[in-house]
Amino acid sequence: MDELLEAGLRAALTGPVVYADVRVVSPQRYEHLAVRNGEASALTSSERAGIGVRVRSKLAWGFATSTQLDAGTARALARRAVRAAVAAGRTSRTPLLVTEEKGPSQGRYESPVEIDPFEVDREEKLRILTETERALHVGPSMKSGHAQFQAWREDKWFASSEGVRFRSTITHVGAGVDATAVAGGEVQRRSAPTSFGGDYRQAGWEFVRDLDLPRLAPSVGKEAVALLTAPVCPTATTTLVLASDQLALQVHESVGHATELDRILGMEAGYAGTSFLGVGDRDSLRYGSEGMNIVADATEPGGLGSFAWDDEGVPARRTPLVDSGRLVGFLTSRETAASAGLEHSGATVRADSFHRLPLIRMTNIDLLPGDRSFDELLDGVREGVYLATNRSWSIDDKRLNFQFGTEAGWRIKDGALDGLVRNPIYAGMTPKFWASMDAVGDLSTWHLWGVPNCGKGQPSQVARVGHGAPAARFRDVSLRGN
Amino acid sequence: MPESETAVLRTLSETLGSLPPGAEADARLTGGQWGTMRFANGRIHQPHLEEGRLLSLRVASDRRLGTATTTDLTEHGIAAVVRAAVALAAIAPIERKFPGFPEGTRRLVPVAYSESTARLTPEAQGRIAAKALDAARAEIPDARVSGVVNVGHEFIAVANTSGLSRFSRRSAVMSSVLVERPNEDPPVSGWSEGAHWDAAGLDSAALGREAASRVATSAPTAVKPGTYRVLLGGSAASELIGYLGYLGFNGHGEEEGWSCLARRRGRRILPPSMTLVDEGRSRESIPQGIDYEGLEKRKTPLVTEGVAGAAVSDLVTAGRLGVDPSGHGLPPESPYGEWGPIPTQVRLMGGDAKEEELLRETRNGILVTRFHYVRVVHPGRSILTGMTRDGTYRIENGEVTRPLRNLRFTESILRTLSKAELWGRSRRRYSDERGGATVTASPILTGAFRFTSSTLF
Repeated sequence: MDELLEAGLRAALTGPVVYADVRVVSPQRYEHLAVRNGEASALTSSERAGIGVRVRSKLAWGFATSTQLDAGTARALARRAVRAAVAAGRTSRTPLLVTEEKGPSQGRYESPVEIDPFEVDREEKLRILTETERALHVGPSMKSGHAQFQAWREDKWFASSEGVRFRSTITHVGAGVDATAVAGGEVQRRSAPTSFGGDYRQAGWEFVRDLDLPRLAPSVGKEAVALLTAPVCPTATTTLVLASDQLALQVHESVGHATELDRILGMEAGYAGTSFLGVGDRDSLRYGSEGMNIVADATEPGGLGSFAWDDEGVPARRTPLVDSGRLVGFLTSRETAASAGLEHSGATVRADSFHRLPLIRMTNIDLLPGDRSFDELLDGVREGVYLATNRSWSIDDKRLNFQFGTEAGWRIKDGALDGLVRNPIYAGMTPKFWASMDAVGDLSTWHLWGVPNCGKGQPSQVARVGHGAPAARFRDVSLRGN
Repeated sequence: MPESETAVLRTLSETLGSLPPGAEADARLTGGQWGTMRFANGRIHQPHLEEGRLLSLRVASDRRLGTATTTDLTEHGIAAVVRAAVALAAIAPIERKFPGFPEGTRRLVPVAYSESTARLTPEAQGRIAAKALDAARAEIPDARVSGVVNVGHEFIAVANTSGLSRFSRRSAVMSSVLVERPNEDPPVSGWSEGAHWDAAGLDSAALGREAASRVATSAPTAVKPGTYRVLLGGSAASELIGYLGYLGFNGHGEEEGWSCLARRRGRRILPPSMTLVDEGRSRESIPQGIDYEGLEKRKTPLVTEGVAGAAVSDLVTAGRLGVDPSGHGLPPESPYGEWGPIPTQVRLMGGDAKEEELLRETRNGILVTRFHYVRVVHPGRSILTGMTRDGTYRIENGEVTRPLRNLRFTESILRTLSKAELWGRSRRRYSDERGGATVTASPILTGAFRFTSSTLF
C-alpha cells in the first residue's frame, strides 16, 4: 500500500501544487440483511476498493478518484487532480489558505470490536431478523414488517505531503425494526429503537445482540396498529417533551448543520444552503437557554462520528459548540478555519468513501445531559405532549424555520402520560425554540444515537454521524395534528 | 475513455461462467467517468473527477436471492463475488413469486448518446462552469454566485443465465446556478437549472443569466400563511411530480398498501388534459436504454388524461403483484432497491400555456421558483412539507409585483395537481446529479396550495 500512496504523492507534487494527500480504501466492506413480510428485501454483501488523490495549488483544490488500485492509476489520478486544480484556479483571484496543524502525524487506529459482525454466521443473523419481523405482525392491519441489519468496515490508508501517515480501520453496525399498519386510508408506522433503520454504533455484533430486537418487535407492531385509531394530535401552543431520539434529530438539523463553517461561508449555498449564523456570532450569539450545552466530539467512544484523524490528517478533537446557551464554536476544516481567522481546524472533515472529496461533516454532536429525571420533566406539565421517533423532517436553507413530525405522541396531563395521539407535528424557529428549553433530562434519559443518512455535497455523500441527546422540555411550542 | 461494449459484456459472461453448474443469476456491470465542477463565492472550489466500475451479481437459488458486489474485476475478484452471492442465496428465505430472470436476445436500438460529452476534458468542464459564473456576474457584478456542473457518461450492462445480454450508455450534463445578494436584509437570490444528454444542448451562460434575472431588486416582505393560487416554476413543479412518482407509482407502495393511489387506479385523479408518462428512451429525457435488470425501457403511462395508471415494477415486485415487470429495476444491492421501483424518466404532457398566460391567469397568488428540503409527512395522503427558496414572489393582477419571504408548505401533491388549471408548453429537463432520475416538466398553475408558516428571510 505504501507504494501506491507514494506513487500518488510523488506524481501530484508537480508544477503549481503546494500540497497533496492520497487516500486508499481497501477494502470498504458492507453487509445488509433485511427481511420484509417474511421475504428477503436485502441480502447483500459488498466489497469495494479505490483511491482518491487530492491536491492544492495556491488558488484551488483538485481531486480525482478511481476504483483501479495500482501505481500507474495513482500517478494518472494525480495528474488529473492537478489538471482539475489548474482548471479551477482559473476562476479564482484570491489565495487559498489553510491552517497549520500539529499533533501525532503517524499511527494506527482500529475501532474496538468484541465480535466481528462480518464473522457472525449469516444464517444466525437472518434467523434473528426473520423471527423479529414475524413478531411485528400482531393483526390484520399490520401490512408491512421490516427488520434489518447493516455493517460497514472501512480500511483506510492516508498519506499527505506534510508527512501525515495513518491507517484506520473502523467498523460500524446497526439494526432495527419498523412496522407499517394500514386501515381505511390511514397509514401508521412505528420503529425501534428509532427510525432510519434503527440504532447504529461504532462497535461489533455485540451492539446488535444487545439491542435484543425480538423482544422489541411485538410492542412496535402493537403501537403501529394502535396509532391507526388513536385521536389526532391536538393543535395548540403547548409544552412539549421530546424523547432523546427526536431531540437527537433536532440537534442534527438545527445545530449540527447550522454550525458547519462551510455553510456559513457560502460554500454550500448552491445546494444544501447556508446558515443563520455568521462568523462574527461566535462568543456572542445566544443560541438557546442556559441548559443548552453542545459539543462536537470525535473522540467519543462508540460514536459513528469518532475517528483518530480526519480525512485531512488532523487529529480528532472535542470542540464546544454551544456553552450555557451561547454559540462558542463551529465545525471546521483547515480551509474554512483559516478563512474565519481561527488558529486550527476542528478536525471534522470526512469523505463517505474513497470516491468523494472530503467535506466538513458532523462528528458526534451531543447535547449534554442536565439534571432532571424523565418524571421530573413531566412534573408540573398540566397540559402538553410527549413526542418520540422522527417521521418527517424539514428545515429551511438557513436552518431557522423547521417542522418535524414524529411517529408517536402521548398527551401529558397533570404531570403524567395520558394516551397515544397520532400524526403529531411541531414547528418553530431555531433560536426561539432552543430558548424555550426549560429543563434538560439527566443521564438516565441520555442516549448516544447513530444517524446513518446525513446527506451533503455534490456529488452526494451520505455520512454516518453520532448524536448524544437526553430528553428535554420546551415551553410554548406550536403543535398540530395532521 | 468510454468502455467498449464487447469488453464489458465479456466480463459479465466470465462472471456468469464462474457460477456453479445449474445456478441462475443476473450480473450487471456499471461504470463511467464524471466531472463535477462545483462553484461557490464566485470560483470553482470543489472540482471532482471520478471514474469507476462496479460488478453486481444476484444469484437465484430455488427462488432464494442473494446479491454481492465488487470493484475488483480480476479473476480473483470475480471468483470472490460469485462465492459471496452463492453463499447469501443459500440462506435466503424463498421469494415465493419470483418470476425468474427474463430472456432478451433482441438487439436494442441505441438511445441518444453524445460521444463528445463523454470525452469532455477537465479543462472543458471548468469552462462550462466559468461561463455560468461569468454570465451571472455580468448581470450583477457584486453578486455571490454558486452552483455546479456535472458532466459525464455511464454504462449499464446486464447479462443473465436466461440468455439476456444487454448494454446501454448514458451521457448527461446538468447544471444549476444560484445568484445571491447575501448581505441584503433579508437576503435575495435567484435560481436556474437545466439538464441535457448532450453538453452542446445546455447553455450554462443562459442559466447564469436566468438566475441573475430572478434576483429581486427590493426587499422581500412577509405574507400571511394560507391557501393561495400558486404558479409553480419548473423546478418546483418537477419536484412535486417526482414525489408523486415515489408515493403513487412505487411498486412497493402498491404491494404494501401505503401508496397514495392504492385505491384510485383507473380513476380520475388529475385534470382530464394532464398526462404523465415515464419514458426512458425519450430524447426529451436523459435517455437510458435498459433498467438494472436488463429490461428494455419503454413508454409507461402513469396518468393518462387525468386517470391513474398502474404502479411500476421490477422483477420481484412484479412477481408479488402478479403483473409483467415494467422495466424499473434498480440495482438490487442499492439501499434504494429496498425503497422499491419508481418511475425515473417522467414527462409532463399536455401543457400549452405561454409564460405570460400562466402569470395572467394566476391573477392573485404566489410564484414559487423552487422548493427546499421536501419530505413526506403522510404517504397515504400524499402530504409533503418543504420550504420555498431562491425566488418567491407575489403575483397581483397577473403580474409579479414584489418578492416574498420564504414560506413553508404542508400540502397534498394530489390535491395540488388535481387543481392544476394550466401548465406550460415549454418543457425543461430537471435531473438528479447524473441523469439517473429526470423529470421533464413545465411551470404549473394550481388553484390551491397551502402554506403553513413563513421564515425570517
